This record gives sequence, structure tokens and C-alpha cells, in this order.
Amino acid sequence: MELTFGDAATKIIGSTGFSSLTLGDGTMILVACILLYLAIWKKFEPLLLLPIGFGCLLANLPLSMMASTDSGGLLNFFYQGVKYEILPPLVFLGVGALTDFGPLLANPSTLLLGAAAQIGVYTTLVGAVFLGFDLKEASAIGIIGGADGPTSIFIASKLAPHLLAPIAVAAYSYMSLVPLIQPPIMRWLTTAGERKIKMEQLKPISQTVKIIFPVVVTIVCCLMLPGVTPLLGMLMLGNLFRESGVTARLHETTETHLINIVTILLALAVGSSMTADTFLRLETIKIIILGLLAFCMATAGGVIFAKVMSKLSGGKINPLIGSAGVSAVPMAARVSQKVGAEEDPSNFLLMHAMGPNVAGVIGSAVAAGVFISLFGDPTVDSNHAEIATNIISTISSLPK
Amino acid sequence: MDSIVLTSLIVSLIAILVIFTVLIVLIYTIKLLVRLIPYEEPPAQKITSETLPKTSPPSVSPDIISAITAVMATHLGKSPQEFHITQINPK
Repeated sequence: MELTFGDAATKIIGSTGFSSLTLGDGTMILVACILLYLAIWKKFEPLLLLPIGFGCLLANLPLSMMASTDSGGLLNFFYQGVKYEILPPLVFLGVGALTDFGPLLANPSTLLLGAAAQIGVYTTLVGAVFLGFDLKEASAIGIIGGADGPTSIFIASKLAPHLLAPIAVAAYSYMSLVPLIQPPIMRWLTTAGERKIKMEQLKPISQTVKIIFPVVVTIVCCLMLPGVTPLLGMLMLGNLFRESGVTARLHETTETHLINIVTILLALAVGSSMTADTFLRLETIKIIILGLLAFCMATAGGVIFAKVMSKLSGGKINPLIGSAGVSAVPMAARVSQKVGAEEDPSNFLLMHAMGPNVAGVIGSAVAAGVFISLFGDPTVDSNHAEIATNIISTISSLPK
Repeated sequence: MDSIVLTSLIVSLIAILVIFTVLIVLIYTIKLLVRLIPYEEPPAQKITSETLPKTSPPSVSPDIISAITAVMATHLGKSPQEFHITQINPK
């Protein structure tokens, strides 16, 4: 084979990514760099935005075979964990191991605040329908208001996989902006007197109740909304690892190494789905706007409901804890504490706000379960069963 | 009104009702659990001269301050937020 210098140079130049770089790829590389900047220098949810940004960068390098759609590519394998809804429930396993439901058990009525904050999900759903999305897409967008990344990804991958990337980016970006988004709404909806309300000390809870709680929640919620079982079941299993006291090693693994590993895989997979053809669309801008609306409405819903509860209880509840009903654990609870302390530095709301905060995790999972019950495709489950059967038969046929 | 918007409103209403129903069921389940299995104070450890440290610690640890705060709150019948410990002099 003869090659002239010119032929060789042309062939080498043709094999580089530069030769295939499009305007869309370039724009997405810029978007990836912005995400990396926000994660590293602005500290916006760096544990998630950094791998998402880098996944996006890798996916948009031409000829690298790193996009989620590049069959056989590395990130395509990671993406299977999102596509088959494996990774979000595993994140929930870790979240459960990290969560103390004690404040919620001590004041169970705060579960209502977790429900009230879901109002943001449904107002956004209606708003999304107004902007031209169908009901499945609108549900996936609305769940951003639950302020729960794994739930957003879970629902998006189930109901609107083509919108997964903008939904995930909007969910995590706004979660990182909770300390900026929530305080003005909280101050606007409450009076100085309400913000100064001091709440009674929480009662201690028996360890046996803490152990029974995850089992009861799993039975009650999963019987009522079977679609939510992968998320809620894993959340409660993680919590049972924590509270049972007999699985120290499993608890330690799930709350540290497992959740970290799964977060890396999940974030890279989401980043790899951010290609020019899926992200650079008018829908992305609409989703970003609707995501902000979802967070604002969720915050307002929680605060207004807490004001009602405060009136009904004779001023025993500080309405500021209502904003913690959006998930975003523990940042939303910290915001309640901060805004309360601004009014009265001796007012400690953190533990009281943790109740609605963890209730928000359950609330957003239940909201997801409602969407799955209404719009979930039962044929997907049969596909999963078919895939599982194929895997088992393949393993069985391997030589021993 | 467009039928899809009307459907979305109905979906939202039903979904909110379902969420509140599920969580209210949970609230009463928790209340029942807490009533059936009340919290019991762990048995207090007997403090003897042998269990006490031979030498006094160089500074008072946060755990000790928390314990003193809790005891003071119970004794005074006040919330821990209502008073502030400024100085502890170990003898």
C-alpha cells in the first residue's frame, strides 16, 4: 500500500474529531464547560453537576462513541442503568441509609407538608400542557417540583425518555439554587411574627418504631401505588439497614461507597444523553422555565399549607418549615433554619424542618407513583421480564 | 377549554387527593405505632467512683454540655432554646 505525504496527512486529519465537529457539538461542549464551571467554581451541586458536565463533554466529542445512543460505547452501558430504571432506585437505597426519619415520626402531621409541596408538581403539569407538551411529558416535567433528582430521572426515563437530559439538568440545577429560590418566597408569604414562632421540642421515638416504620411504609404505599415500589422499596430498605442495627456493614456500604459509585454512573449516564439533537431544542428552554415554576410553586404550596396548620394548631407551627416539604434533603431544611434565625437567632427550626423535608422524599415518590399508575406503560414491565428471562437463559447456557 | 388542559386539571386533582390519602393513612399508622410502642428511657448507668475519670478533662466536651442542657431543661421545665450555658467550672 502506497501513501503519499498528502494522502497520509489528509487521512490523519480526516480521522480526528475536528473533521466531524458540528456547530451543535461545539455548542454542547460549551454547555458542558458551563456546567463544569458552575460545579467547580460556583459549587452548584458539584457531586452531580461535575460528572453530568463531564459526561456531556465526552458525549459531544465527535467519533468518541461516548453518547448514550452510541451502541457499544462505554457510556451507553452506563445508560442502560437509567433506561432500565436500575440506578435511581440504587441512589434511593443510599438516601434511605442516610436518612433519619426520627423528626417525622415525632411529628407525623408534617407528612402533610410533604404532600402540600407536591402542589408544585401539579401546577407545573398544567403549565406544561399549556405549553404544548403531552400528559406523559408534562408529568415528567412536573416532577422537577418534587426537588428529587433520582425521582425526576426515574419518571423521565419511564414516561418521556427523550426529555431525560433537560429534565435532569433542570432538576439538579434548581436543587442547587434552593438557597436562592426559596427565601424570597418564604419571606413574602409569612409575617415577621410567624417567622418568630418557636416550636415545641420533639418527643423521643422508640427504636422499635423506627425499625417498624420502613416496613409499614413499604407495605402501605407499595400496595396503594405499586409503580412506586422500586423507589420507595429501596429507600425503605436503606433505612432499615440503618435502623435495624444488625446490618452495620451493609449500612456503611450503602451510605458511602454504593451511593457514591451509583451517583457517578447515574450522572455520567445523564450527561451522555445531553447531545445536540436532544438538548438544543425549544423544549429545553420551556423545561428550564417550567422547572423554576415547579420549585417556586412547591415552596409556596408548602409554606401556605404550613400557615394553615399554624392557624389550626393555635400558632404552634412555624410556617417556615413548610418550604422544607420540597425534597432537596437537607438543603431545604437548612434554608428554613436560616430564614428563621434571621428573624430570631435563638430560634432553632432545623430538626422541625427535617420532618417535612424527609416527608418530601416520600411525597415526591408517591407523586411519581401516581404518574406511573396513570400513565405507566405495562408493556415495559413485560419487556423487563423478557430481558431477565433472556439473561437467565444465557447464564444457564454458559459452560460450567 | 382545551380537552387536554381539562384532563391535566383532573389528573392533578386526582393525584393530589391520592397523595393526601396515602400520607394521611401513613400519619395515622405512625400515630398508632407510637401509641402502641411508647419511648422508654434507657436504664441510667450507675456512676461509681471507679467509672469516673481519674483526672479531670482539659475542657468540657460538647456531649457533656448537651447532657447538662437536657437535664437543666427537664429540671426547669423550659425548652433548651430558652437558656444558654455560659460557663462550667468542674470542681
